[in-house]
Amino acid sequence: MRTATFAAALGLMLGMVGASVAAPSKAKAHTVTIEDMRFQPADLVVAPGDTVVWINKDLVAHTATSQVGGFDSNLILASDSWRYTVQKKKGDFAYICTLHPAMKGTLRVK
Amino acid sequence: MQSPTIIVAVVSMLLLPVAGSSAQGVNDAQIASIVVTANQVDIDAGKLAASRSTNGDVKGFARLMVTDHTGVNKSATDLAARLKVTPQDNPTSQSLKSEGDKNIATLKTLKGDAFDKAYVDHEVAYHQQVIDALDKTLIPGATNAELKALLVKVRPAFVAHLEHAKSLQSSLSKGH
Repeated sequence: MRTATFAAALGLMLGMVGASVAAPSKAKAHTVTIEDMRFQPADLVVAPGDTVVWINKDLVAHTATSQVGGFDSNLILASDSWRYTVQKKKGDFAYICTLHPAMKGTLRVK
Repeated sequence: MQSPTIIVAVVSMLLLPVAGSSAQGVNDAQIASIVVTANQVDIDAGKLAASRSTNGDVKGFARLMVTDHTGVNKSATDLAARLKVTPQDNPTSQSLKSEGDKNIATLKTLKGDAFDKAYVDHEVAYHQQVIDALDKTLIPGATNAELKALLVKVRPAFVAHLEHAKSLQSSLSKGH
């Protein structure tokens, strides 16, 4: 019994240690390239705390604007970029370029 | 005496397209001029439409044309300056300019729905014409790799504008 309890306790401690070490380093950096009048990738799965950078490689200005709320880059000029830290609220955030509304993307916050 | 003259004439005709220009008949300096003129013509029409149209969608499109074509022109003139290419006037850029002037003159005589229809119809035709020129003449004709890359890069914006103008065109025709 004692050994088993000890092992369980040790396992729990290790697990906790593992969790506490892993949590802060899990935030990922994502890139969305804006090129040829498209967001690439158009569909991106992210987690709260991750960062997403939109890089505009087109010759014209664009925006990444979520019309359901959440984020709005305002103008991202040609050859410029915009960085966003993903907020806590989970769900699918559809976004468009307000200048060229045919350009569509989705951030899936999980 | 006649035959040497003919030979000289034929030889110079054969040489002309090769010397200083591509197989497509335009050199890089001429292409630069065509690009700048094509953008400027649409900026001018867009400025007029943004101030004269009373339709919110048409005004929005017109403002976008001013913004986007100004951006493209900045890239084109920056590149030309860096490559030390001076845009060179040519029949294509001249006809773009005179067609653009004619369009502005026509638009200035119109107002209301007639203005919107004429502006949008012209935008559809203009963007189609520029895309055709890019595909058939400008992209294949460009010899400098950076100029060619710029032309390739600019094409999707013109395609998006064409689609946008077409959808405006169909909504305007449904409205009346």
